[in-house]
Amino acid sequence: MSVVYFIFQQTMFFMIPLLVVALGGMFSERSGVVNIALEGIMTMGAFTGILFLNLTGGSMSGQGQLLIAVIVSMVTGAIFALFHAYAAINMKADQTISGTALNLFAPAFAIFVARVIQGVQQVQFSNTFRVAKVPLLGDIPVIGDLFFKNTYITTYLGFIVFGISALVLYKTRFGLRLRACGEHPQAADAAGINVYRMQYAGVVLSGALGGLGGLVFVVPTSTNFNATVSGYGFLALAVLIFGQWKPVKILWASLFFGLMKAVAAAYSGIPFLEGLGIPSYLYKMIPYIATLIVLIFTSRNSQAPKASGIPYDKGAR
Amino acid sequence: MKKKVLAMLLTGAMVLSLAACGSTQTAPAAEAETTETTETAEPAEVAEETTETATEESAGGYELALVTDLGTIDDKSFNQGAWEGLTQYAEEAGVTYKYYQPQEATTDSYVETIGLAIEGGAKLVVCPGYLFETPVYLAQEQYPDVTFILLDGEPHNEDYSDYVTASNTMAILFQEDQPGYLAGYAAVKDGMTKLGFMGGMAVPAVVRYGYGFVQGADAAATEMGVKVDIMYHYTGAFAATPEAQAMAASWYQNGTEVIFGCGGAVGNSVMAAAEEANAKVIGVDVDQSFESDTVISSAMKKLSVSVYDGIKAFYDGSFPGGSTTVFSAENDGIGLPMDTSKFTNFTQADYDAIVASLVDGSITISNDVSDTTTADLTLSSAKVTFVE
Repeated sequence: MSVVYFIFQQTMFFMIPLLVVALGGMFSERSGVVNIALEGIMTMGAFTGILFLNLTGGSMSGQGQLLIAVIVSMVTGAIFALFHAYAAINMKADQTISGTALNLFAPAFAIFVARVIQGVQQVQFSNTFRVAKVPLLGDIPVIGDLFFKNTYITTYLGFIVFGISALVLYKTRFGLRLRACGEHPQAADAAGINVYRMQYAGVVLSGALGGLGGLVFVVPTSTNFNATVSGYGFLALAVLIFGQWKPVKILWASLFFGLMKAVAAAYSGIPFLEGLGIPSYLYKMIPYIATLIVLIFTSRNSQAPKASGIPYDKGAR
Repeated sequence: MKKKVLAMLLTGAMVLSLAACGSTQTAPAAEAETTETTETAEPAEVAEETTETATEESAGGYELALVTDLGTIDDKSFNQGAWEGLTQYAEEAGVTYKYYQPQEATTDSYVETIGLAIEGGAKLVVCPGYLFETPVYLAQEQYPDVTFILLDGEPHNEDYSDYVTASNTMAILFQEDQPGYLAGYAAVKDGMTKLGFMGGMAVPAVVRYGYGFVQGADAAATEMGVKVDIMYHYTGAFAATPEAQAMAASWYQNGTEVIFGCGGAVGNSVMAAAEEANAKVIGVDVDQSFESDTVISSAMKKLSVSVYDGIKAFYDGSFPGGSTTVFSAENDGIGLPMDTSKFTNFTQADYDAIVASLVDGSITISNDVSDTTTADLTLSSAKVTFVE
């Protein structure tokens, strides 16, 4: 049984960053702006968050420090995403190109600033944030072992973000307007919605969540930040597509990806899976093959926002 | 554009003022092209001030040069280790020194930067890392009057068809299987029976570490009459990834007591997993005990020692050019940092004894790396589970 718990806990480490970042991508795309810059935004968010942890390492520790770092990361991500928003919305630039530019810029910036500040490119941090067991809740059988042991506060934050995202997108006026801008901005404009403002909101939200995702990605899995998030921003885009731009489906998609990643990485330590003799390559391939298959079958009636990727032109018919 | 010109002028002026006692005209222009001018000039300046008399006869510039590879001068690995050895000698002997960072990691760029270093007055150029094998192969012929020290490789041409170590070149290799052996031996002697090895890419150096580790553990287990289980894996990259962390965590969860994190940042992932599981890590290349409390020891290559010895031999006139020097336990080129190690049962005396038997050759380690899966090793007490 402990193996199941272990796999589940590991799955969370993979799943939560993917979930948060994919939800960020969802906000952007549902407002009509393709955000391929998620990788760069994650890098920036992780960089400032980890740098904050590094600089305050002597004087602060524990969950409070992590929560402030979360805010730092989110603000950084939001600000960084503004560049993309300005290029994509005001300047009507090709959104893929401006996103790529940010992706190229982010790691270079992180390396440069880290070296200026501390002379070394890797930003160290000491991890004092692991929750070995949540009081009371951790004592519940099964559920306590699954959700409330060996975890990070950011895991719960990820689920909260998910809940709020789903609510905002479907149950609020803002969500409705955002979706309208992604489907038919001219119609939304005619209905009196400020399309530019909605698109800005979508991109900035995706930036904040992307930045958060970057921090959440690095904290449990390393002891330093070396200007990379190992392609998880792009993986989150795959999750977004696999989840068909819908929050609940994104949750399942990220769980699926996370589980497969965890199994592929950890199977050697699990006697049962080791005994099956399936090569790890198979586990590593499954999420991507599944994405391809899903894309093949859904491309006809894809749920992608109709206006996603097209710069909004007020005068277009 | 204006700013660029201004910046160029300023750097030029700065370099000129620093190299005031120098007379070569090419040096300042050359240095303005490197990316690191301002940063590198400072240590050089200090050296120059303290050693003015010693260098007055030389034609100016910087006699000792180091060209960095992919990483930076403070990469906690190759560049830094080599640089420490170089600065140590330079300050003791009062020789000028400087490092140059290539613009990009290509053979052309390396050769060009080596050229820059030579124009800057270098008599001896240190090239750390196997990426320099081809650049040094080319440069040793192009600059027969200059001496090269190549770390962790032997000069060869682009397609590996021709290996030449010219008389002005010293190639340095390390017997990584020995520190690996020491680490494995010490871990088992310390009472651990479930070990793990997590390497980066299966390049020869990493494989040698791993093979040594397995054989060391096996030898200790045989001596003590215990059985040892070893998990063995190459991650395929030198990066800290959640995958590496998850794999290490699963090993720890399954009872593995210590993992030898052997491949740059892979070690950081292992440390993260170890902190979570309250388990132990063995570091690699340099003493990594300051990176995490979970690091109980490190399998070290003494890069600075090898560079220091090479430069010293050059100035003493006994430069072993044209040949490859292998650093091993015999010439104190490898080892474990016993001062910072956190062993409970494995003592300094035990360490000295095992090193002594490595030196006198009573222990032989198989370091044939043609098969990387450890399947070719004959082990008596250790069982290796190779994870693809």
